[in-house]
Amino acid sequence: MSGNESGYEMIFCIINSGFSETLMDAAREAGARGGTVMRARGTAGKEAEEIFSITVHPDKEVVMILVPKTIKDAVLNAVYKSVGMGTAGQGIAFSLPVNKTVGLQ
Amino acid sequence: MLKKKKKDSILPKDPIGSETAPAAAPAQGSSAPIKLELLITIVEKKKAEFYLDLIQSFDVNFQFSEPAHGTAKADILDYLGLADSDKTVIFSVVRSDRLDELMYTLDMKFRTIRDGKGVSVSVPFSSMIGTSVYAFLCNAVETVGGVK
Repeated sequence: MSGNESGYEMIFCIINSGFSETLMDAAREAGARGGTVMRARGTAGKEAEEIFSITVHPDKEVVMILVPKTIKDAVLNAVYKSVGMGTAGQGIAFSLPVNKTVGLQ
Repeated sequence: MLKKKKKDSILPKDPIGSETAPAAAPAQGSSAPIKLELLITIVEKKKAEFYLDLIQSFDVNFQFSEPAHGTAKADILDYLGLADSDKTVIFSVVRSDRLDELMYTLDMKFRTIRDGKGVSVSVPFSSMIGTSVYAFLCNAVETVGGVK
C-alpha cells in the first residue's frame, strides 16, 4: 500500500476555531491555491493539559489543503509560523501522501 | 452522516478468504489481499447525496460526510457569480481494485454535471485490524455470509 503516484500531498491542519483565514493567507503566500474547512471538536486529557501548560479549546477547525509535493514543506512551514502551537491558533499540521486525484483541472 | 449499504446490492467480483482464515490469506485466484484506500471527495453541498449514492455503487460499504466550506474570498465568489461556498466532504473506504473505475466515473461526473464540480483524492491505508471489519470494508459478502 505504498506509492504517491499523483505528485500531490494533502495537508491537514487542526486549529482553534476562527483562525482558518489566517492560516489560508499564510498557505496562499507559500503557493497553495485554496482549502476546505470543516468544523471539529478537540479533546485532551486534563492531566496532559496541566503537564504541558496548554489549554485546549474544544472548538476546532480542520483545514484540508491539497498541494503539489514540491511546495508541501513551504506550506507546512508557513502554517506552523502563522498558526502553530506557539500562537493563538494552537495548530498542528501534517501531510498525507495522495495516490490519485481527479477534478483538479 | 453514516451510510450503510444493503448486503444484497452488489456481490464482490473477487471475494477474499474466509472468517476463519486471516484476511491476509491469499484469495482464490489472487496472490494478495485487496488493498483499501480512503477516498476524500469534496463537492457542492447540494450534490452531496448524488455523489454519496454514486460512490456507494462501487462496492463501498462505509462512508461518512461532513459539512464544510471553501476558503475562496467573498470578492472571488461574487466575481464567479457564486452565492456561497458551502461544501460537503465525503470520506469513503474504497477497494483499490475498484478505485480506477470509480475515479474515472467521478471525473466524468465532475466535468458534465451542472454544479457538480468537485475534487477527489485517495490516500492509501497502511494498516488495519479485524478480519470481519476488513471483509465489511471490502464488501466481501461471501466471506461474512457464513458468520452468525
